[in-house]
Amino acid sequence: MKSLIVLDNEAVQAMGSPAHPKHQRVLSLVQVVAQRKRRAAEVALAVPTTVRAQAGWDRTVAAWALANRLRVADEALGRAEANVAAQIRAATGVSVADAHLGAVLQGSKAQRVTVLTSDPGDVAAVAGSRAVTIVRI
Amino acid sequence: MTKLTAIDEINRLLDDAGKETTNTSMRLPVALRDAAGIAVAQLGAAPSTTALASAALRTTLEAIVMQAALDAHYAEHPEARPSLADLALAAAELDDNPLAQTPELLHQAAEQVGRRHPDANADDVLLWAEALASVA
Repeated sequence: MKSLIVLDNEAVQAMGSPAHPKHQRVLSLVQVVAQRKRRAAEVALAVPTTVRAQAGWDRTVAAWALANRLRVADEALGRAEANVAAQIRAATGVSVADAHLGAVLQGSKAQRVTVLTSDPGDVAAVAGSRAVTIVRI
Repeated sequence: MTKLTAIDEINRLLDDAGKETTNTSMRLPVALRDAAGIAVAQLGAAPSTTALASAALRTTLEAIVMQAALDAHYAEHPEARPSLADLALAAAELDDNPLAQTPELLHQAAEQVGRRHPDANADDVLLWAEALASVA
């Protein structure tokens, strides 16, 4: 995978709800991903599962149908990720969801990693030495 | 089957990571099959022609299903549809392209490109914006 785009809490909420003030903004970013996939670009969307839980995204609930249809993969908090997240949380004091986000960023094998977030400071803090493009929504 | 049902079914199938395979009856142009074989053998494009074809098909299907989901959503919520300028800005931001700092230039480029090419996408606008910036 050349490019991984990870959604943070508010990006998830904005994507899922047409009433959210940043809904169109997040859809513009997702739309670009769809257009680039059509051109065979290796790009994928992902969400850490703890971020998904924090945002209230239940894949079994109809209200999240749009989000479910946009090919956003779950990044689970497995044993290895939990260890990295615990280290990040101990070092920075961020929330569990942000620490999991950091573990996803640091563990990603993608050549390029981008985060859609309303909190660039926290993302920079949890990314460690991983080069990350931060898109503020 | 409705369009939304089709989208959900395609997504379900794409998410099914089972290793079950099938000999397909799809007819493939011989030249395309041979080109894929050479790409795998000589250029290391993929572990096998099957893997190459599967990856390409998956990427295409993912793009199709994402676009179909977005189009269905825009039909229900027209106000959610981003403008071409919005898309160009989003593309620049995703690329960490310095043009993201010049939204007015992107807006101008989107207007010019969109007028002549109604089907233009974000990357078309970025290219034109770079051309405009280079002569400014």
